[in-house]
Amino acid sequence: MNFMSLAEKLVLFKCYLLLFVCFMATANADEQSKRWSIKGFGSFGVTGSDTDRIGFLRNRTQTKAVDNNWGVTTDSRLGVQLDVDISDSLHTTVQWIARDHAGDFFEQNLEWAFLSWRPRDDINIRIGRLGLDTFLLSDYREVGYAYVWMRPPHEFYANIPLSHFDGIDFAQKFVIDDSFLTLKLQAGYSYSQMHTGLGLFSIKAPIAGLNIVYETGDWRLRAGYSYMHFLSDVPSQELVDAVNNPALAPVYPGVSDLSAALTLEGTDLHFMSVGGAYDDGIWLGQAEASYMETDNAYVVDAASAYFSFGRRISEFTVYGLYGLSFSFNDRVNIPAPSVLAPPLLGLQKGLNQVLNFNSIDQQSFSLGVRWDFYTNIAFKAQWTHFWFGDRGAALWTQDEPGNIPSQVNLWSLGVDFVF
Amino acid sequence: MMKTIIKYLFAFLLPIFAVRAEIVVITNIDNPVTVMTKTEIQSIFMGRKRAFANGLKAVAFDFSKEREPFYSLLTHRSIQQIDAYWARIIFSGQGMPPVKLPSAQLILSAVQKNQGAIAYINRRSIGDSRVRVLLSLE
Repeated sequence: MNFMSLAEKLVLFKCYLLLFVCFMATANADEQSKRWSIKGFGSFGVTGSDTDRIGFLRNRTQTKAVDNNWGVTTDSRLGVQLDVDISDSLHTTVQWIARDHAGDFFEQNLEWAFLSWRPRDDINIRIGRLGLDTFLLSDYREVGYAYVWMRPPHEFYANIPLSHFDGIDFAQKFVIDDSFLTLKLQAGYSYSQMHTGLGLFSIKAPIAGLNIVYETGDWRLRAGYSYMHFLSDVPSQELVDAVNNPALAPVYPGVSDLSAALTLEGTDLHFMSVGGAYDDGIWLGQAEASYMETDNAYVVDAASAYFSFGRRISEFTVYGLYGLSFSFNDRVNIPAPSVLAPPLLGLQKGLNQVLNFNSIDQQSFSLGVRWDFYTNIAFKAQWTHFWFGDRGAALWTQDEPGNIPSQVNLWSLGVDFVF
Repeated sequence: MMKTIIKYLFAFLLPIFAVRAEIVVITNIDNPVTVMTKTEIQSIFMGRKRAFANGLKAVAFDFSKEREPFYSLLTHRSIQQIDAYWARIIFSGQGMPPVKLPSAQLILSAVQKNQGAIAYINRRSIGDSRVRVLLSLE
């Protein structure tokens, strides 16, 4: 039997509370102005690669990877969204997505449940569970129908474990002639679960962010900054206890210094990004760049970027996509213990694995086609060729760091739809 | 001489052909807004603006049968591109698309009922209905 911990119960309770508030607000709506809709989106895709040494994940919150055994969970999902206008200025939105996500299936997949208040046409204040708005695709990365690729660029989007938080955001839109400048401030608390080499990691972190979007004609440009402070730790307790064991000091000097490197709690993460998208109806282009900085050794500093071009030819869109991501950590070489006993060598190996597990050194080029063959359904096919540097496959599942291929091909076919 | 006659004949006939494809953007007769640019109309139908220049809340309606020519004239984009755009707006919680109405009668009555209504229709379908034409798209 798996009993829920108090913390898990609290999380679920908060979840029900969010939904309850949204539904109560809706139930009290003035019948006259009430307008509601249920809409949805989904994707069904099959994905496979030409290696069995590392497994492909769409992002680090997924639990099931695909390799040369093709799978459907990577690029398949189904989302439903309920929207209700309570009055002219009040609105609720609830969105839930069935997808492969680490941790609690119901809670982690409740993407949004918020109450939105628009006191004026140019101001929007939202409270509840909200999307974390830190990049161009942040709020709709699961909605395949809204973009041309099979999935958001892997180098850029796979490393971001958070997609929602509970809190508040404030957006103000400025109209400048025929252009729009939107400033958005976000603050709240995130509870997001992801898999790590050590097991399930439940991220608990207050977060804050600032986002600026400028839309003019065929262009959409944005810049953003997000901050988070970790209040929880990766499941490294066993290792921390092991290196701190006083009996170890004489036979393995200096090993206790590593406990700080295994601790995430109390550290900060800063995330900066800029991006732009162009679409004139025929040609489309999009590029983003980001830099992630942390003050812990476990989540490493990393830079990522991608750019993509596409051309529409009647109902077909052909595109190319290049992405790269690399981390700035040096290889950690754990010195050998002074007594070469098997348990100590085992600990050395374990520490080496854990501390060298998070390196990213990856580039990829993709070619693909989107075919809008029927109203609200698009077919997609994409080929991606990945290159890896030494140890650089942290965005993939790996049995042993270091045992990674230098190149991998990945193919995928799928349909995206909205209803 | 013959050439001139043909030229005049065409000059008279061309508008007749043009009328067939003419889509007009209409609003309620009591809406103080009498004229709008293509870009302003685009902003409202694409959900970027929710009000007219005078502050009146805008309620846009889509006419299912004329969506394709309307968006092609207004934005130079196909209906698939418009739907993909709305997928992004809807599922990023930024707004809802115009309500789709299936007939010209429903479009006209919706526009006559609501002072802030804005819709589009083939000019021929207006008949003697009291609506204000804001812009003609050809």
